[in-house]
Amino acid sequence: MTAVLKSIIESLIFVSQEPIGLEKLKAILDDFPPADVEDAVQELEESYSKNQSGIQLQRSAGGLLFVTEPACDPWVKKMLHMDKKGRLSSAALETLSIIAYHQPVTLAEISALRGVDATHSLKTLLLKRLVKITGRKRSPGKPLIYRTSNKFLSYFGLNSLKDLPTREEIETLLEEEREAG
Amino acid sequence: MDGSQPYQVKLDVFQGPLDLLLFLIRKKKLDIHDIPMALITREYLEYLERKEQINLEREAEFLLIAALLIHIKSQMLLPRETVVDEDTDPRQTLVDRLLDHQKIKAACAILRTKENDQMLTWQRGFLPPLEPLDELEFIEVSLFDLAEVFYSIMQKRKQEDVKIIPGKDFSVKAKMDEIVQYLKVHGHLDYMDYFDRQSSLEEALFSFLCLLELIKTRIIIAVQESLFSPIQIWLRQKESSS
Repeated sequence: MTAVLKSIIESLIFVSQEPIGLEKLKAILDDFPPADVEDAVQELEESYSKNQSGIQLQRSAGGLLFVTEPACDPWVKKMLHMDKKGRLSSAALETLSIIAYHQPVTLAEISALRGVDATHSLKTLLLKRLVKITGRKRSPGKPLIYRTSNKFLSYFGLNSLKDLPTREEIETLLEEEREAG
Repeated sequence: MDGSQPYQVKLDVFQGPLDLLLFLIRKKKLDIHDIPMALITREYLEYLERKEQINLEREAEFLLIAALLIHIKSQMLLPRETVVDEDTDPRQTLVDRLLDHQKIKAACAILRTKENDQMLTWQRGFLPPLEPLDELEFIEVSLFDLAEVFYSIMQKRKQEDVKIIPGKDFSVKAKMDEIVQYLKVHGHLDYMDYFDRQSSLEEALFSFLCLLELIKTRIIIAVQESLFSPIQIWLRQKESSS
């Protein structure tokens, strides 16, 4: 029974271009008991973590997604005729982290936190769809409110906002820097 | 000054004034919780003076923090009438900002390694999707965007002599049906194109009102793939499948 379910789920993840969430899987597989779906997902994850496949099952943005094995990157790039994927500029990354930690946030607030105007990098982030507009703040001028998008999570391989670097991780890094400097 | 060239390069390393301040604090091995304001202000201003070419926009941001430093120092010097309790150190807001900035910087470093890891994996979605069916992928356009584009189209057609009104009647119902029918057949329509094709200014104005009505009743949706890309009109998914 689970074997059938496993293969169905596997094919659904394969077809999906975006991370497919557990809730969506349950909705599609409504003729199976939800608990069975959960079990099958877990088994599928286990079998993928065990075998040495060129395809990996990743938990990303609250869903499941097939990605290629990192070690295969050079050949994938060759096939796609890609030199490298563009990275975010430091300014854009800084703006993005501020939004991630302080969301929901307005442009003025971001700029104030950075000490530098963030208009340009915010535009870049919107174009890359790593950030989305979620409304307007009820304050003078009704400024737009920004949040990080689901694409932000999958871009960094995060499952949810809880996976952002934690206070402990940040403190450890700062401690290391202090010792080094 | 003979060393002006290297400084120029070095300043670009600093994203903003807070980075420069953190750098100076580290260089002078200062305690971030107990910054000697006179020293840090002097160092900071010296650094700014060394910068020869002035980019006004960036300069303003650096000067703003310089003003803040001097303001804090003056507050510390002035005698106060009320007894100062320990908690109200004038430096506190600056320290908080620096600490927060330091954390963001560290978070950036961690995210950068995650980005690097993620760069090595490829997903199927990376290849261009076959059909742009996913409504969520688009940014919904606001009324102001619609109005702005409409206005620019109308500007183009301003030469048309509106004194002569052809006296043709338009029906809201018929026009709306026409738009929906077109969408059912063609999937979507290009907002700019659509108005360019209208025979008269009057008809274009009328169609614009019909489009707004259809958007309001949630039958169609105005979206764009990304900011500043052409606005497209789509049927809402529910209506198109039924």
